[in-house]
Amino acid sequence: MSSETGAEVRASDAALIERLVQRDEAALATLYDRYAGMLSSVLNRILRDSQAAEEILQDIFFQLWRTASQFDASRGSLPGWLLVIARNRAISRLRRHNPAAGDELNENAVALPFNFESAMAQQQLLGRVKGALESLPQEQRAAVELAYFEGMTHSEIARRTGDPLGTVKTRLRSAVETLKRTLQPMMSQGI
Amino acid sequence: MNGHPTREEDFDLYALGALEPEEKQAIESHAASCGECARKLAEEQGRIALLALAAPLVNPSAAVKQRLMQQVRAAASSHGPARAAKESDRAGGFFGRWWTAVLVPAGAMLVLATIFLWNENRQLDKQLADLHAAMQQQQQQLREAREVADLISSHDTITVALAAQPGMSGGAAHVMYNSKMGMLMYEGELAPAPAAKSYQLWLVPAAGNPISAGVFNPVSGQADHWMMKLPQGISPKAFAVTLEPAGGMPQPTGPKVLVGAVS
Repeated sequence: MSSETGAEVRASDAALIERLVQRDEAALATLYDRYAGMLSSVLNRILRDSQAAEEILQDIFFQLWRTASQFDASRGSLPGWLLVIARNRAISRLRRHNPAAGDELNENAVALPFNFESAMAQQQLLGRVKGALESLPQEQRAAVELAYFEGMTHSEIARRTGDPLGTVKTRLRSAVETLKRTLQPMMSQGI
Repeated sequence: MNGHPTREEDFDLYALGALEPEEKQAIESHAASCGECARKLAEEQGRIALLALAAPLVNPSAAVKQRLMQQVRAAASSHGPARAAKESDRAGGFFGRWWTAVLVPAGAMLVLATIFLWNENRQLDKQLADLHAAMQQQQQQLREAREVADLISSHDTITVALAAQPGMSGGAAHVMYNSKMGMLMYEGELAPAPAAKSYQLWLVPAAGNPISAGVFNPVSGQADHWMMKLPQGISPKAFAVTLEPAGGMPQPTGPKVLVGAVS
């Protein structure tokens, strides 16, 4: 949840990244306030260990501080990159292996055509994503959650649930198609 | 497949993390040399990343931010000693006489000790001031976060979209307002105001004169965002942004730039 209230003018992510490159600590603090809650939530959901989640959270923002000059805002979205990195690192920690080598800023353009830069927009998105996920049939939702939050592959999900591999693949594909259809209006509006 | 060794749905499943290692490797290898697939992959990763928002909200402890900022400062200051050593090397040629071999090191040590102690003292003062400021900031952030959460989660809160008026320079905004709490949150994007002018947000009550809800001067390309306390119990029929003389006016006098009626 952002704490930028009052008559303060909100700086865009791109402007804050430019200030990070100039070693402006206040810009890092602002980006932290903007996105730490969102990242902390997904890290805790995956790891169920608040200490490990906080270690990774600090590490991600320190990496952002060190390598801000490599981030090209025109190639990708900062919150998108942060979410992908947070999820990848949490899954790596969960599965006790080193983070993927593809963690570098310039190798992970993540397109996220949403306005994430305000508390209101984050809240609106949160409500719609939760709604979209809850609208899925239970077995599809469970498969998506096992893949995204537990880091399981098709075959691992099949072993966990006891369902045939083909069934799991079909469920995941149907679920993703439904999610895309549900979220598409938001993408069109660029909320 | 149109020459691409991957199926469209595999991008979704890649982003979801459900592909087997060899399938994942095949997509990464192909996307590394195919701009079109790299773009599609980026889009799917962004779309699937939204699933993270379904996680229950868990805010990190205030200590994480504090540790992060300390880590950043420590990294910045680690360059200092190397620079100091170089400067010391350059200064070494000035002292050639034999007695300087005794007096100069002693004097230098005294000076260094004094500087060290003075610097330690200054750093402790600064750390204390930083901690105090961080605590105050965290308390303020906590209060503000609670206000935002209360406003957003309340069933009484209304959201009104403000649309640009014909002949004006465009822009758009949203207002969230809770009459019982007397809380208003504004978020919008407008072109910078002309010279000697400011924008002013108004709550237009069902009865009575408009109430000012903020004067602002947008910066190009940046959104404005704030919360404001207003008198409680006012029932609005609309919200509007007008262009006023710099600093705002007690009542609207200028043209309406954005207007949103309460449905």
